[in-house]
Amino acid sequence: MAFIKLNDLEVEVEDGTNIIEAARQHGIEVPHYCYHPGLTRPANCRMCLVEPHVFFPPAGKVVPDRQLATGCTTTVRTAPPDRKLDGKYDFIVRTDSPRVKKAREDILEFLLVHHPLDCPVCDQAGECDLQDFSYNHGSGKSRYLEVKNVPPKKDLGPDVLLYSTRCIVCTRCIRFCDEVAGTGELGLIHRGSHDEIDIPRDHDENPLRLLDNKLAGNVVDICPVGALISKDFLFKSRPWFMKQVNSVCPGCSVGCNITVDYKEDGLYRIQPRFHEDINQHWMCDDGRLGYHYVNSEDRLQIPMKRVDGELVPTSWADALNLVVEKFSETDPDSIAIIGSAQATNEENYLLGKLAHEILKTESIGLFGREPDEEHKFPQFTIDADKNPNTRGARDMLKLGDDASLTEEVFRDGIANAKAVYLVNGAPERPLDETAKQALEAVDFLVVQDIFESDVAQLADVVLPGVTFAEKEGTFTNAKGWVQRIHRAVDPPGEARTDWEIIQQLANRLGGEMNYHFAGEIALDIAENVPDYQDATHQKIGDGGVKLNGGNN
Amino acid sequence: MSNELIQIETPFQFSEENQQEFERLIQRYPVKEAAMLPTLHLAQKQAGYISPAVMEHVAELLELPVMKVKDVVTFYPMFFEEPVGKYVIRVCYTLPCALRDCKLVLEHIKQKFDIDVASETDLAKGTTPDEKFTLLKSECLASCDVAPVVMVNDDLYKNLTPEKMDEILDGLE
Repeated sequence: MAFIKLNDLEVEVEDGTNIIEAARQHGIEVPHYCYHPGLTRPANCRMCLVEPHVFFPPAGKVVPDRQLATGCTTTVRTAPPDRKLDGKYDFIVRTDSPRVKKAREDILEFLLVHHPLDCPVCDQAGECDLQDFSYNHGSGKSRYLEVKNVPPKKDLGPDVLLYSTRCIVCTRCIRFCDEVAGTGELGLIHRGSHDEIDIPRDHDENPLRLLDNKLAGNVVDICPVGALISKDFLFKSRPWFMKQVNSVCPGCSVGCNITVDYKEDGLYRIQPRFHEDINQHWMCDDGRLGYHYVNSEDRLQIPMKRVDGELVPTSWADALNLVVEKFSETDPDSIAIIGSAQATNEENYLLGKLAHEILKTESIGLFGREPDEEHKFPQFTIDADKNPNTRGARDMLKLGDDASLTEEVFRDGIANAKAVYLVNGAPERPLDETAKQALEAVDFLVVQDIFESDVAQLADVVLPGVTFAEKEGTFTNAKGWVQRIHRAVDPPGEARTDWEIIQQLANRLGGEMNYHFAGEIALDIAENVPDYQDATHQKIGDGGVKLNGGNN
Repeated sequence: MSNELIQIETPFQFSEENQQEFERLIQRYPVKEAAMLPTLHLAQKQAGYISPAVMEHVAELLELPVMKVKDVVTFYPMFFEEPVGKYVIRVCYTLPCALRDCKLVLEHIKQKFDIDVASETDLAKGTTPDEKFTLLKSECLASCDVAPVVMVNDDLYKNLTPEKMDEILDGLE
């Protein structure tokens, strides 16, 4: 640990910490643009200048260094005893001296020379570092009277637009594509004050490559100004009109930490949230842009039952009673419960309880999305398993690791069943012909889902469940991190939270479940499921809990 | 601006001789990326200008994303992204040459060929229709003692007047 004097504070920081991070750890903001903790440090924006102090022998004392230094590339280390400053400090630095403040003001004036000052029509307004730092550290006026450069707006790829005029050429996006994605689509064209970010194009501006890698959306997040903009979010909402909850991406078993921006009428945006051991600062575009189904008009909103071959709307009471009636008259050995790798631990745990303790059947299966390709990048991996909770579902339903999501296993699970309760959550999955036949052979099929899927089409009773954005619960990712999702919006229509449906069904079948919220189920999980002793909602918090204390 | 990727119809290849030269060059550098400038010069010498096909080939040879090549090509004014004349005339326009009437030389060439001065983004307006000459203004050519100076391709001409310029240009094939 290095003992440093930071402004008037005396603080300890780890060796190798830079001044920006050291200051951040102690509540002091050093404004910066090009520095990003997940990328290399070119120190080109000059915004993070700070004033280190050095020993000046002629004066026999410690004085401010002649030059200011960039806070991003200035790191502190424990100094040898004879090199301590003022006898005890490893480093002395000021982030608030008049010289630093003047430098910030001047740098901002330069950065704004060609800036169009179009905040009123800019998507970034409200969450813009250029706006915030200009307000906090800028002079409020420019002395530049000449004509501004007006580089064109550019289409870089499927989801990314570049408003070149707003760009301050910090090169975070270029470094992201080079270092994290390893795809290198972005670069700088021209030179000096005519510098522009671009993809490679021929002389007529037609592209040779597009910014179309699966991590491309991250460049929009890390752009400190309004230059890189997501087409998906363009002109959708002012940031301050949205609410935000922390959650976990349901797109694959990596379990990227995310924030969900929403309003009353649905989800607006998903962005990655830092987690050191899981996704660092990033997420993939499949997860980022994959939320639209939550807002869909086609969501299942009312329970349905089959009458004369047609699915017709009915009440919850009627639907549940029908299920209870049919299940009660079926031999327990002929009832199969199919859990879901899309559902939370809490839901699968209740399904397991329903199967083992109430229905007393051993036929338990698992359903979910089909695996896809794995995508590996230098600093990021998108998992092949497209379910957020395969591992958790196996743990909760006491299925072995071999309980894979293949159609064979699924067919075997329902092969001899007369009545099946299937919690799906993978509505886009098409069924092959034999799986379809197997389901058709089932006398009574109950499907709990969010859309009219292939599976729901075959059901005798359909119960409308909810998506990850409408419920509380936990997912266990492939590496054994148990993490929480949070409710953002209300379920559509009469759709109900999945664990509530399972509990109501269980109780109508003679069970005595009395849970009031998902966290209560998690307490039971902690008590009863091996390795989950720490996985209570309170302990999981926003950072997650790793099974077995992090040893697997 | 379209989002349609361009297709390269005729890929660029180094001639046998230039390929050998490239392989000799690449030995001189610790990493392949460092051979970017000489490789581009070599390619421009062969192809006349740096077309998308050339960029793709150079990127492939140096094992880099093609954007890294584009980056360098647009940075340096010595690389052309459009066809240029057989002779590229660079009239030095920095202070000492300006004091020694480089403007007369420049205006003379403009009138002689009835062309404008080319810019980096529009080389065509400074190129003669027969694609023999391209006229460019240049920053200091580091020969202020013999100003005004002009470079035609790789040759430097000193102490110029419009008459001397005529003589030089008329002598070119």
